Amino acid sequence: MNKSNSEAGFSVSRRAFLKTFGTSAAAAAAGQLDTVAQGLSKADAEKLHGPGPVPITLNVNGKLLKLELEPRVTLLDALRNHSVLTGAKEVCDRATCGACTVLLDDTPVYACSKLAIEAQGHAIITVEGLAKEGRLSPVQQAFVQEDALMCGYCTPGFVMSVTALLKKNSHPTEEQVKTACAGNLCRCGTYPRVMKAALKGAGVSTTSNTEVISYAKLA
Amino acid sequence: MRPFAYATAFTPASARELIADNGCYLGGGIDLLGEMKEYIAEPKVLVNLKALPGLNKIEPGDKVWTIGANVTVGELEDHEGLKQTFRGLQQAAAEVGSRQIRNVATVGGNLAQHSRCWYYRQRDVYCLKKGGDMCYARNGENKYHSLFTGNTCISPVVSNLAVALAALDATVIVQRGEKPQRMTLAELYAKAWDNPTAHHSLEHGDLILQVEVPVQRRRSSYLQVSEKAMFDWALVSCAAAGRIEGDKISQGRVVLGAISNVPHQVQAANDLMEGKVLDEALADKVAGAILEKAQPHSANGYKIPIARALIRRTLMQLKA
Amino acid sequence: MPSWPEKRTWIGSHATRVDGPAKVTGAAKYASDVQPEGWLYGMILRSKWAKAKITSINLDKALKVPGIKAAVLSREGERTVRYYGEELAAVAGTSKQACLDALKAIEVRTTPLPFVVREEDAREESSPRVWEEAPNLSKPSVNEKGEVDKAFGECAAVVEGFYTTPVQIHHPLETHGNTVSWTEAGVTAWASTQGVFSVRDGLASSLNVPQNQVRVICDYMGGGFGSKFGPGIEGGLAARLSKAAGAPVKLMLTRFDQALAVGNRPSSFQKIKLGATADGTLHAFEFENYGTAGIGAGGSTAGGGGGAELRAPYIYRVPNIRVKQSAVAVNAGSARAFRAPACPPSSCGIEAIMDELAVKLNMDPVELRIKNDPSEIRQKQYRLGAERFGWNEKYRKPGTSPGAVKTGVGCGGASWGGGGNRRARAEAQVNPDGSVEVRCGTQDLGTGTRTLVALVAAEVFGLTPDKIHAQIGDTRFPYGNDSGGSTTAPSVCPAVYDACVNALAELQKQTGVDDARGANWLAACKKLGVNPLVASGQWREGLSSSGTGGVQFAEVEVDTETGFVKVKKITCVQDCGLVVSKLTCESQVNSGIIIGIGYALYEERVMDRHTGVVLNPNFETYKLPALADTPEIDIVLMDMPERGVIGIGEPVTIPTAAAIANAVANALGVRVTSLPITPARVLAALGKTGGAA
Repeated sequence: MNKSNSEAGFSVSRRAFLKTFGTSAAAAAAGQLDTVAQGLSKADAEKLHGPGPVPITLNVNGKLLKLELEPRVTLLDALRNHSVLTGAKEVCDRATCGACTVLLDDTPVYACSKLAIEAQGHAIITVEGLAKEGRLSPVQQAFVQEDALMCGYCTPGFVMSVTALLKKNSHPTEEQVKTACAGNLCRCGTYPRVMKAALKGAGVSTTSNTEVISYAKLA
Repeated sequence: MRPFAYATAFTPASARELIADNGCYLGGGIDLLGEMKEYIAEPKVLVNLKALPGLNKIEPGDKVWTIGANVTVGELEDHEGLKQTFRGLQQAAAEVGSRQIRNVATVGGNLAQHSRCWYYRQRDVYCLKKGGDMCYARNGENKYHSLFTGNTCISPVVSNLAVALAALDATVIVQRGEKPQRMTLAELYAKAWDNPTAHHSLEHGDLILQVEVPVQRRRSSYLQVSEKAMFDWALVSCAAAGRIEGDKISQGRVVLGAISNVPHQVQAANDLMEGKVLDEALADKVAGAILEKAQPHSANGYKIPIARALIRRTLMQLKA
Repeated sequence: MPSWPEKRTWIGSHATRVDGPAKVTGAAKYASDVQPEGWLYGMILRSKWAKAKITSINLDKALKVPGIKAAVLSREGERTVRYYGEELAAVAGTSKQACLDALKAIEVRTTPLPFVVREEDAREESSPRVWEEAPNLSKPSVNEKGEVDKAFGECAAVVEGFYTTPVQIHHPLETHGNTVSWTEAGVTAWASTQGVFSVRDGLASSLNVPQNQVRVICDYMGGGFGSKFGPGIEGGLAARLSKAAGAPVKLMLTRFDQALAVGNRPSSFQKIKLGATADGTLHAFEFENYGTAGIGAGGSTAGGGGGAELRAPYIYRVPNIRVKQSAVAVNAGSARAFRAPACPPSSCGIEAIMDELAVKLNMDPVELRIKNDPSEIRQKQYRLGAERFGWNEKYRKPGTSPGAVKTGVGCGGASWGGGGNRRARAEAQVNPDGSVEVRCGTQDLGTGTRTLVALVAAEVFGLTPDKIHAQIGDTRFPYGNDSGGSTTAPSVCPAVYDACVNALAELQKQTGVDDARGANWLAACKKLGVNPLVASGQWREGLSSSGTGGVQFAEVEVDTETGFVKVKKITCVQDCGLVVSKLTCESQVNSGIIIGIGYALYEERVMDRHTGVVLNPNFETYKLPALADTPEIDIVLMDMPERGVIGIGEPVTIPTAAAIANAVANALGVRVTSLPITPARVLAALGKTGGAA
């Protein structure tokens, strides 16, 4: 299907290409010489893929995952349903909850809102890719020690967001942790402990706000 | 989502050709994929814009800054220089969605985003904006809806960047056919004022290329109020800009978002400020002029006092 | 009678969750994660109509979609659907995309019928009926004590109010659903559930398969909050699809589905009148409520049912009362138990009117409560909590804090049952190499059950918890009760304790070792030779009890110009008997409080009266509290080991919203009487709606 489409004229003709870049002010902005040259050589890459399944190669946790997927398959769908990487969770599928957070070139993104076909060529890291040789990463350890998890379903997403934060800013303030985690929801209420775990990952100790008092000793 | 073919464009012209009649441009994908998952949008082709050369830069300048349409909202948020020169724009960017969203959402996509009205976004409601007969919000649940509209649809514009850019007198460069169009923010949304099915003035195939923000030694600020502290659509958003000399303001602008189908700016209100001492009394007069013709519905009248408070606060922030 | 050891090493310790590493690495497999050989993706088609007569559903075209292996109707023949989202049919296929395309290809012929979705509309005689045979509004059930009308005449102070709470959706992060394989050999279901045995029995019955051929597994599950008992319609559909397709089917609901069809907390509309004598002793109480439990409520029974009844006057002692409870049916999904059913809304009503009374009497709200709350535990908790919270320093007359951003404080109390289920069983296996397996067919919803099992076993055997393999969530294990009502810990811990005590005794007997614990463990186990030792245990009296209290204090800041409410601090003083795991106990307290914050400030299901749809079937407009919305939470756990294990999951979510609502009223000097307390409602209470100038 895609082959005939590209032959029918969806690739850019040189004439049309130059027309665009000829006169407009926009062209001046967009048309630096080196990128024009690049563009010309990429013209044949502007073909249509799909709508049926096409070969897609994803670089996940340092390994190549070779799949045949329709363009409408999201990265999350690819991970959970077309591979064994079920760490990223599907909770809302609408970019509102963060349970599907993965790193794309160290940047946290919602895997549910990134097409798998578009995620090619990027370094994808999922929660399964953090522990090295069975040793939990410092962020993972902090989550376990501070009990920043309950049912665990939001946990991979939070671990990814906090990992990304600490990679970029190793000494975040509480406000910065809130901002980094604003896109992650938890229904079990682990937030106070996620904050502790994030700060612990940054080397900041926090005190417990729980006291156990013996009822018998009360007046 | 319906099935679609996918291509990456390397020039604006080929992007236009590739989407043909039944395709859509793909920026960050947050808005578009969300619509497609609800079958509100059913394009046959998606064209990835992010490889278009030269559109992903923030270029500072003495007279004007140029921000490419593919710059992410996160890049705006993090840009140190932008924070100094256009503080209001940076503040507006920082409030867009969550960090994960800002990491992929593009400036172009943010400006071109579609209505968030919950009737429009409801997969089983065929409302006026989708081509149906009725605006359900008018006699229904309208707490998030517009106080101003020129037509029957009361779905407000929700782009934070639009509000901040409008206050900064920014110009949006849009590729339309073979020619670039220059639009003010007002022009970018004007069609949504009169036309219930329009989210903005862009026609099929129009491609936002960049935004130009003039440097006019202006201070700027942006605030919004939402129900939650973070990652929540604004109930009301407000951007202010102006030149402050001594205690006086000139070239003042105040723009409200989330309360009208277009970024809401009233020239008479801006005129009121010219050359005056900027104090709370002036701010309240300005608010009065901006909100004078507000037409609340059954559940959104509360936006008026919020707007008043935000107008005062953003103007006072200019002095800080 | 058994008792917990007096000297405890692991019980009550700060040991970390045993499944922490599995959860932070993505190794933990939930029902939505398992991938049995050849598994297919399943999906449900739901009604677009709030009420309709379904004349036919044609699956032919759906079956022809490439990749589709099976399609079934949820029910045969003509039928009436009664809410937006009711199940119609389901498909199974080799991909999500195939299923999406198949759902679009199903042809449904319907006659839409009149419907009603709002409680106020449904009460009217003229309203369309949800259930044809009875009016929507039930006759009230009436509970009277003393002579309430006369008693009001005797009061020095009388206050009245009308308070409403919304329908709240559970929204566990893992949606409802199961991966089911139904073959000749029987049914295996990986379920996201609070009760593996409830799923087993439900499937056995609906599929007509003997219970001994149904196995349900729930190793990890992503939250339930009361909504995940039984297989649900979706479980049965997954099984039938599996049989038809000859392959396992994973059918998980979408977030959209969650908002419509798998339960909610009923709303409440409480008209309350409360009177007291001059010294603040409550004397008369009149109460009327009509909430909705969706199609689960209604006029067929007095009181209305569906779970919409409240507890009134809840924890307070009043000698003269008249309590009228009704419920009203609407065309919406039925209610299901939601963390402390009936109590948060009950608390919101009674604690609000108590504060109004305190103001009228010019009495301190904490003192008024202590005077009228017969629970000695709560009285002590109020005193301790008030001091810790700084109540006397923070409390001001309502609305008197200076400036546009006003601060206020409020409080409320809880009472809950909990307690152990005598049917709980467990099994402990001691292997010759010293490793231990403890098995119990119970669930860990994030509550920490697996950890409690390991801690109890570690305590008995004198080992570290990492030497214990706590195995839960499988109907092949001894019966562990459904995880609801805050009964898991008090059921499972005694049963596990018993099994381990029995195992230890048996080990010592078999090997002749006097004390096999701790340092002697390995040597003793080695003497077992080749046979592991297995001992059973069951719940026993003396290790658990029921009944908890709990009080909470809230401090808020309200921006009176924008209506924005910020909760600054919550102080919670909670008893739960013997604290088995300090860490997971504290997490449970945070958990209940944060759900309470959502209830107070953000959450409500919004229905559209014209179209009958749910307008906020997503997390964009059904708003859950996030990290930035979380206040400082200060917790005092009252250790009462003599009471045994009781359970803490529910009491901690009961008074939170009530305390916050009281704090907002204290800050503003006027009360927002409807939850959630949004900026719109705050501004309305302040009289600041509309008007441009």
